[in-house]
Amino acid sequence: MKKHIYNTTILNGYTMKRELMDILCCPMCKSDLSLDVTDENEEEIVTGTLYCAKCDEHYPIEDGIPNLLPPDMRD
Amino acid sequence: MDKKKTKKVVKEAYGKIAQGQEGCGCGTCGPDTKEFAKSVGYSEEELKAVPDEANLALSCGNPTALASLKEGEVVLDLGSGAGFDCFLAATKVGLNGKIIGVDMTPEMVEKARDNAKKNGVENVEFRLGEIENLPMEDNSVDVVISNCVINLSADKPMVFQEVYRVLKPGGRIAISDIAILKELPKKIQESIEAYVGCVGGAMLIDEYKKIVEASGLKDVKVTVKGTSACIDPNTKDPIGRAILDGLGKNESLGRYVVSIYVEGHK
Repeated sequence: MKKHIYNTTILNGYTMKRELMDILCCPMCKSDLSLDVTDENEEEIVTGTLYCAKCDEHYPIEDGIPNLLPPDMRD
Repeated sequence: MDKKKTKKVVKEAYGKIAQGQEGCGCGTCGPDTKEFAKSVGYSEEELKAVPDEANLALSCGNPTALASLKEGEVVLDLGSGAGFDCFLAATKVGLNGKIIGVDMTPEMVEKARDNAKKNGVENVEFRLGEIENLPMEDNSVDVVISNCVINLSADKPMVFQEVYRVLKPGGRIAISDIAILKELPKKIQESIEAYVGCVGGAMLIDEYKKIVEASGLKDVKVTVKGTSACIDPNTKDPIGRAILDGLGKNESLGRYVVSIYVEGHK
């Protein structure tokens, strides 16, 4: 069983939705990501980070868009 | 060009296209994006169902039609651009289904997100990511679609390895892309513009099929849909120009380049 550190509230939204965390993973090692929300509204997670413990890598969520580009392609 | 440089060049070029600063070789047949979409296989009804802003005329087929999407399916669009095929797919899988668009160009993902917001599309999510390093779990997707994108990848075998990994057992692909019938003139092979214009990076049809099969996908079928490449001989667009200038005398692009549909399943 997967362990989720986020709550399971299902929110309707347009971009970064909590329900889709289920099929999200680290682009590099494919491990589960943990979600840390800084700011969210009724629709979506606006700002936050997705963290891969195995790679020790933070993937930012900005303006509702999760940036899951490999770290060397982020800029 | 090494792989990393190719990625950066493509990312930058499509960032500009998203912002309307430049066109792409794929859509140089005419200025009317709607007519262009019809010419590659979208129906009038389909075009009405999606926001105009999402159609940037960067297609070479209609993978959502080929995929025969069913209610409730999870669909992944590789290189989702402004979201055109995602929105179309969203109408087909319904609210119990999900569409995930992955694109490496921030400007495209922002545009797609704005289009989703403006039009109240709820079952579509866009994320910034690479199609060679998909941020998706194993066995999580029913259908992978893609439209005129994989030719731009600097590592095509890796794209299909990733596609195989994320597909559920029995999951399928419905991909529209560009392929070549014979080796391109050297000048075109070496042109960055021709690469960005979906020509320089295109593979031979047999090579394409081999790469898809090598990923593990079964019953792979590559069908030639026609010659989608017609460039106005008087074009001033740098991409179109580079392609035309690279062709030999009395040669036409149609003798090299075709649009294809690629099918297969896990």
